[in-house]
Amino acid sequence: MKTLAVVVTTPPYSHLTISALTYVEAALVAGINVIGVFFYQDGAMHANKDISIASDEYQAIEHWQRLNKEYQLPLHICITAAEKRGIACDSIDNDQVNEAFTVSGLGELVELTTKAARLVQF
Amino acid sequence: MTSSYTQEKNDLPPSNGLAIINSKAPFSSNHGKDALDVALIFGSFEQKVSLFFQGDGVYQLIADQDARLVSIKDYLKTFSAFEFYDIEDIYVCQQSLVNRQLEEKFHIGDVQVLSSIEFGLALNRHQHVLRF
Repeated sequence: MKTLAVVVTTPPYSHLTISALTYVEAALVAGINVIGVFFYQDGAMHANKDISIASDEYQAIEHWQRLNKEYQLPLHICITAAEKRGIACDSIDNDQVNEAFTVSGLGELVELTTKAARLVQF
Repeated sequence: MTSSYTQEKNDLPPSNGLAIINSKAPFSSNHGKDALDVALIFGSFEQKVSLFFQGDGVYQLIADQDARLVSIKDYLKTFSAFEFYDIEDIYVCQQSLVNRQLEEKFHIGDVQVLSSIEFGLALNRHQHVLRF
């Protein structure tokens, strides 16, 4: 089976993120095994529950949540990148991390890269 | 021309781990440090990783820079630890140096200066590519 891992480095308000979402969804629909999406650099901002994007604009975060739910697509955020951008990852009372995302480290990127036949970065 | 290029490409060894392309100047953004973190993690997991410096990324290799002068943590110093992480394949694009009138004077050893074609071929030997 074809395996694909994706790295997203663009923030949720970036138009480039729309390309990433369109690409990942097309891969899933085509039956490609997308083993995970790793959010690095500004990509980590996708996991911030408190981000609010005007309702008439593209809702990237909602689309990631939908893919996570419909296809059990694993979404990993880099903890260092997230904390640097104000997303509290370790506090139980004040958890800002969107439930669709898993808090991971760069070690997860190594895992995904080792397992995937293809790695695509956005 | 096309056939000799293809021939040369076919003679190269197969997939060779991860290539990280560094394309940004060292102190105006976090890209260099973010790329370094990825490289060191791959190294510590004993995964093969090669570093490519191209465009303004070549400034990351130039000797006698001190990030502290602009109040930045000097992540370039960590480049000297590459050998401990078994990161041995470090390539720089010669044309990028020439375009910026930079000498081949680097702050780490074992940097291989490659022509644009050699640079592309070296990149092509890798299974995965990340660009920062």
